[in-house]
Amino acid sequence: MKYSYIKPRAKSAITSEIKLLVSFFSMTLVMLFLTYGFLLYKDYTFMSDKAAYAQERDNLATVIEQMKEEISYIEKQNLLSQKIYTQNTVLKDSITNLFDLVPQRITLSEAKLMKNGLILYGITPNKEVYSFMLQAPLRSIFHKTYSSFYPAENGWLHFVSTNYIDEEDNLLDMEDEDEN
Amino acid sequence: MKINISRQHIYLLSISIFLLIFVLVFSFAVLIPKGKQYREDRVELKKELRELRKYQDFHAQTEEKLQELESKNRHIITAFDAIFNPDRFEKQHRSYFSSLKLSQIKGIGLEENFVVYEVNTSSQISSPKSFYNFLDAVNKSDWIIGVNFPIDFKRDGELIRSSFTMKVYCNNKDKNTTQLKETKPEEK
Repeated sequence: MKYSYIKPRAKSAITSEIKLLVSFFSMTLVMLFLTYGFLLYKDYTFMSDKAAYAQERDNLATVIEQMKEEISYIEKQNLLSQKIYTQNTVLKDSITNLFDLVPQRITLSEAKLMKNGLILYGITPNKEVYSFMLQAPLRSIFHKTYSSFYPAENGWLHFVSTNYIDEEDNLLDMEDEDEN
Repeated sequence: MKINISRQHIYLLSISIFLLIFVLVFSFAVLIPKGKQYREDRVELKKELRELRKYQDFHAQTEEKLQELESKNRHIITAFDAIFNPDRFEKQHRSYFSSLKLSQIKGIGLEENFVVYEVNTSSQISSPKSFYNFLDAVNKSDWIIGVNFPIDFKRDGELIRSSFTMKVYCNNKDKNTTQLKETKPEEK
């Protein structure tokens, strides 16, 4: 005796509802894990990028430091060389001025230029020519001027002129000029 | 009142609740904090990158400045590197003098961290103008040379006998100081 018109089918635990649920949750879980994986990967790349940036920055800092040292050394070299070149030029001007200072009637036989002084040896027709034409300008330049004479064979006078700049007075003069 | 729920539905509900709890726990306990950390890391990385760019810009600027300085001061740099060669100096500057003689090359120590050695010079010139020209030429020579006091000019017939001291400046490097020691006893 039959109670149903359809044939009986085998019952399964995995019903269509379960399948739907599992597929829904598996998609959700896959998405979640993928996101987590992505975050982990990014975390790793961030860390490695950060380390690389820090390394590069350290390298750059070292190179910059070296270049700064080189720059300061070149600037130092430049400063010193300019100072020396200026000293040479000033020396040249000083010697030019010295020889321009000596009048035609006085003949120099020797000139000793020192850091703070000048000694001139020469011959002059008489003391007056020396006093007016050489000693006067020398006095205006140097703080201390000493002259000595002795007769030459031709009736002229040999002279030795020793001139010094007082370093302390010179410094005071420079300070006064700065104040003005 | 009796609730009639089939076993099938109970299974379905339990799986749903379990999975839902798992998703929620995973999201709130792991994913959201990780996401926050990701955002923070991204901001920090951008900051690092900005810092790096600053360094790169500064590096480029410094390099440009250094190259400019080097090209502008090429002569000075090579002059400080050069070891003083008395023969070469004589050859280069003989034209300003009737005779030129260098003697007593000796190291006198350090000045502003540069090695300095002193060269005594005796020469004969036909006129002071030759000496002025020499002073101009010294500033363009292969070495950094300062003509120093005392300077002595003495009439010698038609010529002027001159003697003066020169200070030669060099880089303070082991290479130079060694060679300086080697030059020290030399007399020209």
